Amino acid sequence: MSAESGEGSDSPPVSNLPSHVSTIAVRQLTKLYGTFPAVQSMSFDVAPGEVLGLVGPNGAGKTTTLRCIAGIISPSSGAVSIAGHDIQRDAIPAKRALAFIPDEPHLFEYLSVEEHLRFIARLYGVADVETRIPGLLRELELTEKRSALPGELSRGMRQKLAIACGLLHDPTALILDEPLTGLDPGGMRRMRETITARAADGAAVILSSHLLNLVEALCTKLLVVRRGECVAYGTIDEIIAAHPDLAGRSLEDVFLALTGEQKTNA
Amino acid sequence: MNAFFYLVWTSGRNRIRFVVARARSPRYAAALIVGGLYLYSFLFRPAAARGASSLLLGQPTEMIVTLLAVLTLMGSWIFGSDATALAFTQAEVSMLFPAPLSRRSLIGYKLFRAQITVLINALVWVFILRRGGTLLPSPLRAIGLWVLFSTLNMHRLGAALVRSSWREHGRAGARRQRVSIAVFVVVGVLVAAGIIEARAALLAAEGPGEFFGALGRALAAPPASWGLLPFHIVVAPTFARSVGTWSRAILPAVVVMLGHVWWVLRTDAAFEDAAIEASAERARRVQATRSRRSVAAMGAPRATGTLTLAAVGHPALAIIWKNMLCLRRTAQLRVFIGPTVMAIALGAATSSGGADGGEIFASCALALAGMLLLFGGRLIRNDLRHDMQHLPLIKTLPLPPGEIVLAEVASAALPMAAMQTMLVLIAYVAVFASPSNPLGGDVRLALLIAAPFAITALNGALLTIQNGTAVLFPGWVRLGPVVSTGVEALGQNVLAMIANLFSLALGLVIPLMVAWGIVAALHEPRGVAWALVIILASIILAAETYAAMRFLGGALARAEPGQTE
Repeated sequence: MSAESGEGSDSPPVSNLPSHVSTIAVRQLTKLYGTFPAVQSMSFDVAPGEVLGLVGPNGAGKTTTLRCIAGIISPSSGAVSIAGHDIQRDAIPAKRALAFIPDEPHLFEYLSVEEHLRFIARLYGVADVETRIPGLLRELELTEKRSALPGELSRGMRQKLAIACGLLHDPTALILDEPLTGLDPGGMRRMRETITARAADGAAVILSSHLLNLVEALCTKLLVVRRGECVAYGTIDEIIAAHPDLAGRSLEDVFLALTGEQKTNA
Repeated sequence: MNAFFYLVWTSGRNRIRFVVARARSPRYAAALIVGGLYLYSFLFRPAAARGASSLLLGQPTEMIVTLLAVLTLMGSWIFGSDATALAFTQAEVSMLFPAPLSRRSLIGYKLFRAQITVLINALVWVFILRRGGTLLPSPLRAIGLWVLFSTLNMHRLGAALVRSSWREHGRAGARRQRVSIAVFVVVGVLVAAGIIEARAALLAAEGPGEFFGALGRALAAPPASWGLLPFHIVVAPTFARSVGTWSRAILPAVVVMLGHVWWVLRTDAAFEDAAIEASAERARRVQATRSRRSVAAMGAPRATGTLTLAAVGHPALAIIWKNMLCLRRTAQLRVFIGPTVMAIALGAATSSGGADGGEIFASCALALAGMLLLFGGRLIRNDLRHDMQHLPLIKTLPLPPGEIVLAEVASAALPMAAMQTMLVLIAYVAVFASPSNPLGGDVRLALLIAAPFAITALNGALLTIQNGTAVLFPGWVRLGPVVSTGVEALGQNVLAMIANLFSLALGLVIPLMVAWGIVAALHEPRGVAWALVIILASIILAAETYAAMRFLGGALARAEPGQTE
């Protein structure tokens, strides 16, 4: 396992990380709110084509971790690199390579679906916007709603628009916080296919979700957090190997055991 | 404890705790101290400054306040329900509307909650007016102000309900509200008739004093006085100069206020009746969703014509493009009505008695330009005061934070500056066409050359100040497109505007010192030299503003979503 949490603090600086190996590199990430540690010494990597599942109970620090990685909040200590760029010191190229799709879509209520995409295209310098937008609208079933304002969209449609905005510039690092919230079963299936396709194209993906079946189906690695600390990291097989008493149990049981919500011998 | 009272009480208490807790941060603590000193100096200033208060409590002011109240309320009737009059918060919509509460209870809650704003503003004005050279004790003045503001607030809510009933039920709704609508029409006709009757005296007036004197006489005489009687009754206790006058005035004012309570609740009942008549099923649906739809409809933008955005180019322009669409789709024309009416009155009043049409027109245009400079930033909010609500998205944009601030401020400052420049141009043409030609040609030309620079710099500086408060103190500033409006919120708005102008005055110190130095060195400079001096001062102000934007960019980079959520 390449992730370390609370075990040694001699992780290499982000700038020394081999960027060709990991698109997303997190080192000793700590975020304090006052004296409360929301995230503690988190370190992990996500390589191109990998899908990392970030799981943990409510209040474990998942969203804080993702927001630190996306540059929305500044870590108290530690460092994050996106495509070889430090998200704090070299923010612009890092953000250009990144897409963050939050659980609650943040949309401008006065821009239509298509205008959102044109706005994002200009910001990220997407030149072939005329060919990209129709394809993306089709992929996310938004074609008929291209002139609608967010207020005229359902919750699921709004989520799809936020996803479309995130995918428009072909990010090499994709961070999704509960991406399936509000989607119907068909939308969930297509979203799973979209994530798989982006990872197959070489994107590094971090996916935070409480839907363990989704995580099991999509993720190549898992990062289990509890009270801001990493309690397990690796492939499911690696995690089971590190906890032999969990062998043969469902992912839900493994999750509950690792997060302390259920005794391991229960 | 009543659930509504509990909600208001605990929300207010927690809000105060939140504000105090924020003050642990050095930035907020410093702001709290500066704000406290500002309030102290403004509200508790020495008795020496009683002249202004005395003027504020004079008879002409009473007439102006009455007229402003009429205009404000007419705005509510003509231009639709005010977002702050009917709007409920998302939490209220989620929790109160599905609860087993009658719609009348909800309206009652809305009235009750508005009392917080009303009471705060009544207190602010009591302090402002407390040294007015009258014998009326402050507590009595406070009661008068409370009655005035409460009545105005309820009237706006009532007008909003009548209009929404009309919109919902078409002619049937209008029929149900025919008494309310008839009263509104009669008041409007009587006031208009009074002003039309006095038009000769108004046009012949020389200077503001004569103009407002003539206006006051016109409004104090029938038929306008009949229409204004209810307004006079409500305003009278505030302007009473002795306990005796106040005692005679307060009872009728309270009766008018209670009449408004009855009217608002009855308007609500009439709405329910209409819904029930239509069908029981529809009534249930309307009961559940009616107010929610109102909230959405009031501020809901419409996807009217778009603006073109090239796919490539400087990314910051995309932010300006986005905010221009915001302005186009969310701006409410009615917010410009007040400044326009005031500018016309001021322009007409400041024109000399023998002024020709061109001069009066120019005065009105310049007065409006000045009004927009002073109040424009509060009328449109298509900048960070809106976008700080989307902080997580804003912070992931691949742009330096300083550029984001620049683009956001420019989004509001440029259209405002363009409007003001256009008005100055109109004034120039109007004066040029005037045979009296009050200004020399070279002075006019110089002012015209310098005006766009000065206007842009001043708007940029003022809007940077207003955006700065949103970036530095997002926990304290009301974010979003809606700002508290109405006469009852005037106290807060006046305090905020004066604070903004004070900050601008600080920013103007260096540019004005440089300008003064150059003018002194030139010895009576002529037109073009004046223009160059103004342009130089504008450039210095713009440089200061840019430095402030860079600073705000750093603050934006450090801002966290938790501060705005």
